[in-house]
Amino acid sequence: MHPSDCLIVIPAFNEAATVAKVVAGAREATGSPVLVVSDASEDDTVAQAEAAGARVLALPIRLGAWCAIQAGLRYARRHGYRQVVTIDADGQHPVSALVDLCAALADSDVVIGTCPQRLSVAKRIAWAYFRLLTGLRVVDVTSGLRAYGEPALELLVQREASLLDYQDIGVLLLLAAQDMRIDELPVAMSEREVGKSRVFSSWLSVTRYMIHTTVLCLAQVGRSAPPAETEMTST
Amino acid sequence: MNLSLSPLPLIVGLALAGAIFYLVRRNHLHGPYAAGWLALAAVIIVVSIWPRSIDWASQLVGIYYPPILVSMLAIAALLLKSLVGDLERSQQERSLRRLSQKLAILENELERLKRGEALPPASHDDPD
Repeated sequence: MHPSDCLIVIPAFNEAATVAKVVAGAREATGSPVLVVSDASEDDTVAQAEAAGARVLALPIRLGAWCAIQAGLRYARRHGYRQVVTIDADGQHPVSALVDLCAALADSDVVIGTCPQRLSVAKRIAWAYFRLLTGLRVVDVTSGLRAYGEPALELLVQREASLLDYQDIGVLLLLAAQDMRIDELPVAMSEREVGKSRVFSSWLSVTRYMIHTTVLCLAQVGRSAPPAETEMTST
Repeated sequence: MNLSLSPLPLIVGLALAGAIFYLVRRNHLHGPYAAGWLALAAVIIVVSIWPRSIDWASQLVGIYYPPILVSMLAIAALLLKSLVGDLERSQQERSLRRLSQKLAILENELERLKRGEALPPASHDDPD
């Protein structure tokens, strides 16, 4: 697939320090257009991103990481892109992985860039728990490095996906319910740029996240996929 | 003993009904909400005019201490109201999020058009 068929989407909330570098790196590595979605940033993330050559969507109010990404997916679909790769704005993901992720979409609907060495013991336990709960066979469920193919895009721009808050299990469950093929691609991550996790920043937010996601998982139990065609033509 | 009329609830019921009509008239209260509040006012007025109706309703459902029926109904109504409120808020949150996304997309396109860039024709209908 031609690089111009793929859009790189970078959700950013107050990432002025790093966003320009990620934008420049992604453009150079892929040759694809880059879209930064500013989640109502209060610093000059928008100006930095534009100066680095990105297109920018500036959300008027803060919607959270997933809905910022969804805005990017809606933009991509509206403008005829057939693939989207998402990457964090804090520079923790290597831009060299973007091309590999796109290439891996030839056999999958969704490819997750997994950084195994990043996972702490707490995270490993948490993800094992969610794997058990959902039956998903994904090692790193919260990785922000993901590639979506056309069928996944078509599904994720729908209203049904707009009440999710994180680009994680809720999104994967939605995809799995439609029998989308989800694969993982191990990605080496540079140690020095390991960023802080929004979810794992404090015990309170971890607890809230675990409860929130458990409810989400339990609510999906026994929910079978509706016939793909009726769902897909409802756009 | 006069059991046929209790003035306080009657005043409350009438005042509530009056207040609801006033709020709708002043455009402060959305129509569908008003119907529910007026129904509550109607119940209060009926009960104040005919207090025996509570005893009658209690017997009907097998509750032998009538005042508890009133409390139970009130709590149930509050719970229901609160759940319906959360449902409506979730739908509003969804709409707010999608409108914000659409606004950002259209703003981007508008800026590009102003700069004289050509935009590709919309390839897919973007669901609202």
